[in-house]
Amino acid sequence: MSTEASDQTNLSEKKDFLVNSASLKDVRSFSREVFEKFKIKKDLREELVLAIAEAAQNIVKHAYKDYPDTQDRMAVRISCTDKELEISFFDKGKPVEKSKVKHRAIDDVKPGGLGTFFIQEIMDSIKFKEGDKPWINNLVLTKKL
Amino acid sequence: MTYKVTEEGNSSTIFLDGEIDMDKTEGAKEVIFPIIDSGKDVYLNLSNVQYMDSSGISVLIESHQKALEQGTKLIIKDVSKSVLKVIMMAKLEQILNLE
Repeated sequence: MSTEASDQTNLSEKKDFLVNSASLKDVRSFSREVFEKFKIKKDLREELVLAIAEAAQNIVKHAYKDYPDTQDRMAVRISCTDKELEISFFDKGKPVEKSKVKHRAIDDVKPGGLGTFFIQEIMDSIKFKEGDKPWINNLVLTKKL
Repeated sequence: MTYKVTEEGNSSTIFLDGEIDMDKTEGAKEVIFPIIDSGKDVYLNLSNVQYMDSSGISVLIESHQKALEQGTKLIIKDVSKSVLKVIMMAKLEQILNLE
């Protein structure tokens, strides 16, 4: 885990993880650790952990759908000011097709399609960007504090 | 994730423990589905499941639907506060049989 700044008003932590489902628990541990360090309100922490884990899961499930044995790594950066939390994800998988990113209709009860819905429910904004080299995708989630 | 199964008459109670995410869903299905297929009523106790993501919720939906197809019951019991929050976020509290 690397700390990019130690100023209390602009904190940032970044860590990379192997792209596979076994890494998701490590993503959650990292997130919980960072939120405790950043003194994020306790009732908000687990919701944010869920949003982060769902976004990481989407990288494993969709960006690396055809590469289950990849040795690539994805990075998660959590940055925080007094007013806003910004969570960025970086991966080298298949480029995200924004038009295809949508959750299923919530009243159409069937397995799957809820991860993106959870992210939308929890976060204030979701932006897909092209990643700066060497990254292909850069997802940025924000939440007002 | 660990689990324990107890039997009483024509019903089984499955106690799941730990965090249920994408990495654990196949294991959860391997425990739950054969018991539903056996035709018994299933009580799924989630009191010791402290984290569940969308993949875990999918297992609950699949199990619920499988039980309906089999003409048995799947009752989800003693849901922890954190998991209940996720079930409610998915607007499933009226769909799944929660007790």
